[in-house]
Amino acid sequence: MKRFASLLLLGLLLVPAAQSHAAPSPWAQSVVQIDINRHNYNYFQPWSRRVAASQKFGIVVGPRQIVTTANWLYNHTLLRLQKGGRGQWHTGRITWIDYHANLALLTVDENEFWEGLSPVTLADEIPNQGPAELVRWNSGRLEVRKLEINRFQIRKGQLTFVDMLHLELDSEIDSVGRAEAITVDDKVIALTISQARNKCIAIPSFFIKSVLAAQASGDYRGMGFFNFFWQQSENPGTLDYLSLDGEKRGVIITRIPKLPGDENTLKPRDILLEIDGFQIDIVGDYADPDYGPLMLENLATRKHWAGDEIPMRIWRDGREQTLVYKLPKADFDKELIPTALYDVPPEYVMAGGLVFQPMTVPYLKSWGADWQRRAPVRLIHYKGQPPTEDRPRLVVLSTVLPDPYNIGYQSYRFLVVDQINGYRISRIEELQEAFANPEGAYHVIEFEQGEPVERIILDAARLDSATQRVMLRYGLTEASVINDPFPQK
Amino acid sequence: MKKLLSLLLLATTLVQAVPPEESVIQIVVFSQQPDWDEPWNNRPVSRSSGTGFAIEGNRIMTNAHVVKWAKQILVRRYQDPQPFQARVAYIGHDCDLAILEVDEPAFFDYLEPLPLGELPKVRSEVVTYGYPAGGEQISYTSGVVSRIELQNYTHPGNRRLLAAQTDAAINPGNSGGPVIQDGKVVGVAFQGIPGLENTGFFIAPPVFRHFLTDVEDGHYDGFPQAGIRMAPLQNPAQRSFLGVPPSFEGARIDTLYSDSAKEHLQKDDVLLKVGDYPVGLDGSILFQGNQLHAGLAFSSAQNGESVPLLLWRQGRQVEVNLPVFVNKDDAAAGNLYELPRYYVYAGMVFTPLTKNYLSTLGQNWSATADTELLYELFYRRKSDPENTRTEAVMLASILAHPVNANMRIRGRVMVDRINGVRIDRLEDVVRAFEDAEENYHVIDFEGSYGFETLNRGQAEATTRSILNTYGIVQDRRL
Repeated sequence: MKRFASLLLLGLLLVPAAQSHAAPSPWAQSVVQIDINRHNYNYFQPWSRRVAASQKFGIVVGPRQIVTTANWLYNHTLLRLQKGGRGQWHTGRITWIDYHANLALLTVDENEFWEGLSPVTLADEIPNQGPAELVRWNSGRLEVRKLEINRFQIRKGQLTFVDMLHLELDSEIDSVGRAEAITVDDKVIALTISQARNKCIAIPSFFIKSVLAAQASGDYRGMGFFNFFWQQSENPGTLDYLSLDGEKRGVIITRIPKLPGDENTLKPRDILLEIDGFQIDIVGDYADPDYGPLMLENLATRKHWAGDEIPMRIWRDGREQTLVYKLPKADFDKELIPTALYDVPPEYVMAGGLVFQPMTVPYLKSWGADWQRRAPVRLIHYKGQPPTEDRPRLVVLSTVLPDPYNIGYQSYRFLVVDQINGYRISRIEELQEAFANPEGAYHVIEFEQGEPVERIILDAARLDSATQRVMLRYGLTEASVINDPFPQK
Repeated sequence: MKKLLSLLLLATTLVQAVPPEESVIQIVVFSQQPDWDEPWNNRPVSRSSGTGFAIEGNRIMTNAHVVKWAKQILVRRYQDPQPFQARVAYIGHDCDLAILEVDEPAFFDYLEPLPLGELPKVRSEVVTYGYPAGGEQISYTSGVVSRIELQNYTHPGNRRLLAAQTDAAINPGNSGGPVIQDGKVVGVAFQGIPGLENTGFFIAPPVFRHFLTDVEDGHYDGFPQAGIRMAPLQNPAQRSFLGVPPSFEGARIDTLYSDSAKEHLQKDDVLLKVGDYPVGLDGSILFQGNQLHAGLAFSSAQNGESVPLLLWRQGRQVEVNLPVFVNKDDAAAGNLYELPRYYVYAGMVFTPLTKNYLSTLGQNWSATADTELLYELFYRRKSDPENTRTEAVMLASILAHPVNANMRIRGRVMVDRINGVRIDRLEDVVRAFEDAEENYHVIDFEGSYGFETLNRGQAEATTRSILNTYGIVQDRRL
């Protein structure tokens, strides 16, 4: 009995020690859950709206300030945040967002929410390899799992066409990519954006930190990018052909898409030798002082924002020359077919059952995940074309809602519009003026050469009544949705 | 009346004198298809079988696809084990028809030509004769004519001509066999649709008669096209805009493609009649009781003939004779049945961009090919004619050798320029290399593929040895 009493005593003594070991992780005071309800638009029926819901994570980075990735925040209708992995949800709001950088700052107005929360430290440096931990809430429990840092890589941002630095980690964890914090020791080194098989991709902390600092000081001018294509110089004959002296080095500029406002003077067949003081090798890498060989695209986002001037050395006309490259701003509106649209409903104009829409990548994605194979080749072809002064964007007749008014035209769809009533059409808002000025008693709609039909005619006097009838019959609340101006984020 | 009865009886007696099956020929073909990816090579010899039938003039009619790429053609008569060698006298890939001849005259002894009939009526009964599925005994299947309309001919892949659909079974091996009604040939069996039950198609009499007329001069030209695209004129506003009187029908001419059409027609002409056929609002004509696309009336003419048209143009009726021609440019988008053209230089293999070349990507080629190549081949001619090349040229592959080992590009890219010469056809590639004087050849590619360079002296010195290494006898087939 004495022995039993001793064991009990030992047990009692041990319990507080075990409780002490299971004390809440400090990350529990910094990692929050975010619940998002948003519109999920159907570009084939742009007037219809479905809802989607997602959950992701954020980390406290300052007073009343939470940072997360921008993914899934677009088109949101309700944003709620929860701390501690359980309990009350608090309505939140976005204070700042940049889709190219894929970062957003959120806040909650209720003071109660912030009680007990404390900011994390974002790491200034990230080890090139070694273990890391992923932190997230999972069914009310703080889940801390191991990963392995694999490498740094340059790849297109998740929501943009801009190439930028990402961190790749090996991970056996399911469903990663919802802005989970990746930590080493007591610092956050990255926020996850996606996972494919056992590779997890994340935005590095030093990038997040530099964007937030620039945003706080008012210096953030948006992401810049290199608006040129280049090819590697692994074929030594090509550098000989271009008469490069000395060791083989640099890459060759092949194409510079025309971009409004881009006055840089690079030319095809310039050899790009040096950017921002870093030598470029024949495969297009530079030696990053912190992270080793990285692709030259990183030099557009490494400590630079749009509008910054970056010194370059090139080989042209048989000698080295120096020039200054002014980083153009990443801007979807400058693309012929915009890569993305955020926080705006799909635009359309329905006239007499004819549905016109801007041609955008979100529209093309209506063909599904394999849209680049399944969408009409005629439309996909435009994706690789640059905008021109007289054709900055494209509008398509996407479908026809059958009505006696448009009889004979019901099968026409996916046709690129050239002119309406003599007005050259590039942007959806131009349809309003064009339809306001019929050619006599008719609206004359002309399509691009080579489309399955080149011209159709509508009765101008009956257009409005037909539009009203089609709206009623097909359940449209608006005959048109035009966002003005183009959203800039 | 008595005389009429006698004539009918005679006719019946005549067509029943020799059962049709005795005029049906079994055809065995040993063929070898070229390899468009390595255009100097051929694929393995394969054996296939089809059907044909005797026609006037000691000839055999069959499908073009039965004898395509044939190295040897053997023909056998009904219930006769003796094979005879045959050869292709004429082949019309656009209409999937061919005429064979047999040099051994004895083959036609006791072989009665089958009489050719007219377009059968829908719902009338027909019997197909053939050797389906490689069987040695003739097979008969009967059914009705289900419908008659313009169909896509899958052998060329880019032509729509008149065809009849029947529920009589038409299976592989039936191809080229006669479809008989009242003892006469009213069709040539030629294709089915995988997955659809009880649907086979046969080539209709106007098509095989056109083919036979075409070859009377000893040369096959093909089926001409109007070189226009019509659009329906069903919308009242469209009709009113063009001032077409309410009592008129007709279809609007939307686009002009051929030089002949551009010379004789105008956009927004309304096509009221083609020949003797009034054109409906949807662009159709009533042809022997069948509502068919008016394109039929244009393809009924022979190459270079004129088709009389009645048009509504700017408020009045106008008569125009439109010369129609076979569209050779169409070959770019259809299957080709000539040996692939190529040129090999310093291990770089150049060949024209064709549908056959793309098909080397695999069965699902249209889903896996670079969309820019698809655009170039199938769309640019219509959407951007000013910048369309006569023949786009691919750098198909590179035969590895130290002289080209450092090139980044390893093939499957379209060529833009060589040594500053815009490549408009394969011959330009040869000229650009052979006329070069600089130390380096410079090859620019389309799209985002950049350019490559090659030391000219080394390239010229190695071309022959590369050909030897890879067993290529000729560096070119132009």
